[in-house]
Amino acid sequence: MKITDNHRLSYSVVDNGDTALTIIFDEPCSEALTRKIVTVQQLIKNSIGSNCFDIIPAYQSITLIFDLLKTSKNEFKDELLKILEQPIEPSSYLSKLIEIPVCYDSEYALDLAELANYCNISEQQVITAHTSKIYLVHMLGFLPGFLYLGGLSSQLYCPRKNTPATRIPAGSVAIGGDQTGIYPVESPGGWHIIGRTPLPMFDSTKNNPAIASPLDEIKFIAIGQSEFLELQKQYKEANR
Amino acid sequence: MSMHFIKAGLQTSLQDLGRPGLMHLGISKSGAMDSNAMKSANWLVDKPLDSAVIEVALIGPKIRFEQPMSIAVSGASFELYLNGYLVFNDETIQVKMDDILEFDRLQQGVRAYIAFSGELQSKPILGSYSTHLTAKFGSFNNRQFNDNDHLKISSTPPSPHKKMLAKNDVIYSGKYLLRCTRSVESDQFSQEQTEQFYAQRFQVTPECNRMGIKLSGKSLEFEKTLEMTSCGLTQGSIQVPPNGQPIISSVDGQTIGGYPRIANIISADLPLLGQLKAGDQLNFTLVTQSNAEKMLAEVEVFRKSLTS
Repeated sequence: MKITDNHRLSYSVVDNGDTALTIIFDEPCSEALTRKIVTVQQLIKNSIGSNCFDIIPAYQSITLIFDLLKTSKNEFKDELLKILEQPIEPSSYLSKLIEIPVCYDSEYALDLAELANYCNISEQQVITAHTSKIYLVHMLGFLPGFLYLGGLSSQLYCPRKNTPATRIPAGSVAIGGDQTGIYPVESPGGWHIIGRTPLPMFDSTKNNPAIASPLDEIKFIAIGQSEFLELQKQYKEANR
Repeated sequence: MSMHFIKAGLQTSLQDLGRPGLMHLGISKSGAMDSNAMKSANWLVDKPLDSAVIEVALIGPKIRFEQPMSIAVSGASFELYLNGYLVFNDETIQVKMDDILEFDRLQQGVRAYIAFSGELQSKPILGSYSTHLTAKFGSFNNRQFNDNDHLKISSTPPSPHKKMLAKNDVIYSGKYLLRCTRSVESDQFSQEQTEQFYAQRFQVTPECNRMGIKLSGKSLEFEKTLEMTSCGLTQGSIQVPPNGQPIISSVDGQTIGGYPRIANIISADLPLLGQLKAGDQLNFTLVTQSNAEKMLAEVEVFRKSLTS
């Protein structure tokens, strides 16, 4: 029987190869679910973390990669199920609001015109819609320091490109489907580029190389090109 | 004191066992793709098996040693010359100052590992010396080696001569059977797709690197779009995109998955992914979890038997 209330979890645990299990939560993606996931992630870390290589939260799941030389999958799964039986207190993590400056000038916003055209609004309306929301960080993944953000205005939904671009510059701010995100490092990608931030999103020299954690909040602030260049210079110097 | 890369080769990079534990930050593990070969090479120079090594792929480097040291090469076999004389994989090689090691024609496999006595003079980044080629960071200048690079290494007395047992003569035939267990979306694939996947032989395409390995074969066509919950993507996951051509994820790949997974390659077979190249032929077979666990334990026992 599946029980869903604030403190009970409704989930299934599925195989993800010989050395990983994925907990899939049976409720839609929301801040409330992310708060539960953060708690479960911590519980796992504190109890069976020493047998785990990685604990990877996502919108509606947590994947555990465990050390198959230390534990069998059956043993590990039994331990895990015991943890999941407990009542779960959603995380009370106090969100940090992180402002991300973005230059939406055409030089950095390679696909802004196309996206505005698809959404049938002006470029300025795209920028206004994009900067007026506060986005919740649900998880990090895909690329180092990439934030999965919730809260994009439905006005801006736009399917991914049919042919992904081969080189998207680091810092590019983009929209793909019902999501918005920032490419932390140069990479190929199929999202529409609507601007660029001078703020480094990933710094391997720092203990915490990403700028945000799950449950933090992001707000995009529109800046002009001169401010973009000035900030870019400052961040470069700070990193020396 | 250092190793001087007169020529760097195609994709020569510093690697160790990588950085597990950071996937929740979007950082995939990196590390030597063929960790078995890396461990063998380290054993041959008397170093901890997880020490950093130089990973060589397809076209090897030409290296001048600016100090005496012991080295060893394991993994893919190249025609290997020290000052013009043939030397061989899987045994300790003592090099003198100004000796030149040259990787010539590739004979078998893809990736070879050069282990060296002495300690690296660079610092680990986020707990590892590995180079993450897609995110462009790592202990050596945040990149792979380029021509004329110098890798600084402390000088140490030479290590004793060692040789792997002959039974380690791994043959990279280019035709492999990779063993799999079930993955998150395995149940959602149609019976026909699953049968086709396990019955046919796939070819490795030229898009084969440290991020992922794309295969081609008879398309595993979808009749309907499968439901996907995005979740952690492990090394060796076999994703099937809408075009029906599988992709095996690898060490520098993304941490959260995009396409449904039909199966995952078992841990015991992952090091072999480092030896796959375009044109190689792959078959897949499904094994039980308990067999996968036995096979991993056997690989460990075998590896230890070679290095004792």
